[in-house]
Amino acid sequence: MNKNPKGLTRRTVLSGAAAVGFSGLARAQQPAEVKVGLIVPLSGIYTRPGQVMKMGAEMGIDHINKQGGIKALGGARMKLVVIDCGDTTEKAKNAAQRMVAQETDLVAATGAYLSSFTLAVTEVTERAELPVLTLSYSDLLTERGFKYIFQTAAPASRQSELGLPTLMKLAESASGKRPKTVAMLMDNTATSIATAKALKEKLFAQEGLQFVVEEIWTPPLSDATPLIQKVRSARPDLLLFMPNAVSDAKLGLEKINEFGLGQGKIPTVSFSITIAEPDMLQSVSTEAVQGIMTIVANWGSKGQEELIAELKAKYKEPWATQNVVSTYGDMWLMKEALEKAGKVDRQAVAQAFRTMDAGPSRYYPGGQLKFDEKGRRVGAGVVIVQWQNGVPVTVYPPELAQASPFWPKKS
Amino acid sequence: MPQLRSLLPAILFTIAYAAVSLSVTNSYYQLVLTLVPVWAVFGLSWNLLSGYTGLISFGHAAFFGIGAYTTALGQIYFDLSPWLLIPIAAMLGGIAGLLIGFPTFRLQGHYFALAMLAYPLAILYVFEWLGFQEVTLPMKRDAPIAYMQFGDPRLYTLLALAIMLATIVLTRIIEQSRFGMALLAIKQNEAAAEAAGINTLAWKLRAITLSGAIAAAIGAFYAQVLLVVTPQSVFGMLVSAQALTVAMFGGVGTVWGPVIGSVILIPLAEILHAEAGDRFPGIQGVIFGFAIICVILVAPEGLFWKLRDLLRKRFPRKANAAPDASQPATATVTPLHTEPRKRAAGSEVVLEVRNLSRSFGGLKAVQNVSFKLHKNEILGIIGPNGAGKTTLFNLLNGFLRPDEGEVLIDGRNMSGERPHTICEAGIGRTFQVMRPFLRMSILDNVVVGAYVRAKTEDEARKLAADAVARVGLSDVADRVAGELSTKELRLMELARALAGQPRILLLDETLAGLGHGEADEVVAVIRQLARDGITIAIIEHTMQAMVRLVDSFVVLDHGAVITEGEPEVVTRDNRVIEAYLGKKWVAHAPH
Repeated sequence: MNKNPKGLTRRTVLSGAAAVGFSGLARAQQPAEVKVGLIVPLSGIYTRPGQVMKMGAEMGIDHINKQGGIKALGGARMKLVVIDCGDTTEKAKNAAQRMVAQETDLVAATGAYLSSFTLAVTEVTERAELPVLTLSYSDLLTERGFKYIFQTAAPASRQSELGLPTLMKLAESASGKRPKTVAMLMDNTATSIATAKALKEKLFAQEGLQFVVEEIWTPPLSDATPLIQKVRSARPDLLLFMPNAVSDAKLGLEKINEFGLGQGKIPTVSFSITIAEPDMLQSVSTEAVQGIMTIVANWGSKGQEELIAELKAKYKEPWATQNVVSTYGDMWLMKEALEKAGKVDRQAVAQAFRTMDAGPSRYYPGGQLKFDEKGRRVGAGVVIVQWQNGVPVTVYPPELAQASPFWPKKS
Repeated sequence: MPQLRSLLPAILFTIAYAAVSLSVTNSYYQLVLTLVPVWAVFGLSWNLLSGYTGLISFGHAAFFGIGAYTTALGQIYFDLSPWLLIPIAAMLGGIAGLLIGFPTFRLQGHYFALAMLAYPLAILYVFEWLGFQEVTLPMKRDAPIAYMQFGDPRLYTLLALAIMLATIVLTRIIEQSRFGMALLAIKQNEAAAEAAGINTLAWKLRAITLSGAIAAAIGAFYAQVLLVVTPQSVFGMLVSAQALTVAMFGGVGTVWGPVIGSVILIPLAEILHAEAGDRFPGIQGVIFGFAIICVILVAPEGLFWKLRDLLRKRFPRKANAAPDASQPATATVTPLHTEPRKRAAGSEVVLEVRNLSRSFGGLKAVQNVSFKLHKNEILGIIGPNGAGKTTLFNLLNGFLRPDEGEVLIDGRNMSGERPHTICEAGIGRTFQVMRPFLRMSILDNVVVGAYVRAKTEDEARKLAADAVARVGLSDVADRVAGELSTKELRLMELARALAGQPRILLLDETLAGLGHGEADEVVAVIRQLARDGITIAIIEHTMQAMVRLVDSFVVLDHGAVITEGEPEVVTRDNRVIEAYLGKKWVAHAPH
């Protein structure tokens, strides 16, 4: 390539100028704006979750600015810079490189939905020393010894550890007996495998569950019949159904109903937000999903009614998923760090995240607004969501629950 | 070795590119600058196999991914440095190429392409199953250089450029050697190449091994740039497609194609992503796809060939233009008038066929055929259409395996051997449907046939020039085969067979499609060859020219020999007349 794209864009010139002059200037007189990044998939097959995260971020920024911006910076307003990280690891890495090279005045960012993308993005941001918050929950993200990544969700292994015992208690209190046998149908994505590992190696034994059926598929699932047939013949007390693509979830649930196992005949539990996405209702009936539970890292819950109402009014989203709530919360967390840092400087903001101790968390379930040395949020919990009358509502923990859980009974 | 001059543009390009990249400080643009040579090298590795042999591989991601995982896993589990792992990756890629090539080269055309598609997808699932969904390269804060983790991203670009230059040089060396000629011959006509004595399987395996090694090496380097390896990002469909896209866009079968493709497409995709993607997410894919479609429509063979054709049109090369324009040279063969040759009766038998049979399902194409070919004889094999003449030749030169029977060459049973082995044993052949290498010059076409005897490139050229002279095509030896007349093509095929210095020539309907005068010219050439000591078997279904040419006939009908003997006897044989004309003509035949 002989022609260098440098100099082609207005943004390059601006960011170059910012690198040399503006930042020095910025410290002298209080800035009117503080930029934070949102790097999420906005093209390709993961567009939809990316868009939902953007809604959360926009609402967060909006609310913060309406409340008077960053007080420690003289009421500076927060400004969102949105970057599309595409649908492949390479695109995510390139996008991250673009973000750090051209948006030099970012103080923090959040992203990037899929843990593979977050891995690639944070390889870049770590080297550029830009703090990144993430709702991705792969354990690997915070096992690399990185100092600029902050994971707000409980890591995958922890989620099942927290979720399964709760589920067992719920079953016992609602139905009067503990489930004894369990079947597991899962896809082979990184998150499912991490969750399954914890379940199989430790948790099933710990909860006294006998593991009777295990089936793994590679997405996309083309036919769920053989999977569900095995479940029907084994008749477990509990079915763990773990898809990560809406189409797989639909296919599985349709088949579960077709075989007459739905609506509580075999209580079905999932471990990701996929099964509670609004898209589900487009082809699966309300009855088919009734009672299905999923253990997730975050969900719209009690105390967030206004946020959920605004989301409905503004974006026509029927309910708030993890993507909305966590990204909304990330904006507040960034504000918190900026207040603590007291200056527009990514190093100071990163240090603020590391040393932060801002009490109980409002937009993430459980624990504190505080990170351990790995960058994991201290005490991060999970929520259990249950489909009730066509809406997935938070049913656990009680302080966040929008409704009481019911245990589907064998009829 | 390629001449330095032919490498000069590549070296200048690399230096210019390096100079540009050194001046770029924006780390994002630098990353794009690094990815350009990465994908160019991947395209070049694809080109080495698919561009030159014409066997389209949809699965080059298999090698790329193996390389990427070698660097990733080698660092994680064995703490090896990528400086060492990249050569190891190349080795593994080469082995993978060999393992994949050996079974897959049995397939041809679309079947080969589809089978190749399956390998990376299958390996992808293996790596997922092994639990390598997401692998990150460990960050080495204490010894970054030893682990190829440069703080200055320009170093990545320079390293990628070095790999690209090395690949270009290697490709050039191959292009200009016997290796490259063999691959080109395979691309244009695999059967003809095999019949010309080229061990096509061996060359193809060498090509895929080398191609796999290069792809794996660059895959290994890519992992070092990307830092995160997932099965999708290195074994995915999009990765294989990337190699095809850059090569086909830039030009297939040339060293510049993948480089041009990569230089244009990779930055274009990134700029679209950066400039349009943020405002209209997804639009970048639409524009990118549209641009590719337009270019492919305008320049189906790639930009390089299109530009070259345009330049040639505008600035025709003077040296060639003068004689071509004024007076197009054609082959002229003066028919030599000689006395009829008498064959030495009872001379030594050079080829013997014993009870040869071959069926296709229920059709007995050749049944129980036996005959002897004596040294220095011209044997005519005749019979009506569908009599099994070409099948017989295909059995003789190894395209087909006989179900039963033997083919003895100098007393040695060669039935069932591969065509190139039989060619080495001294049997050359031409084809009923001509199989020229259309994009190559006459001389290059013939050189391909000479490799079976020649040890060096010079020797091959000399043998080829001799053969071209013997058939009278010396004046037009530089013309591209695609421009030749039927007669010239027939003669060229003859020359290609001759270049391998065969003792026996199998000529399949060499006179077909020729006018009367033209046929005489070709007949004259064949006679001359016979006088020079070559034994000839010729298939023909028109008898007229044959009667004057051959020493004896074998007549086939329905796959079996119905008679054999001297021309005068055979042409009066009732069974022959019946086979050709039907029963009622037998009565009219002169007795």
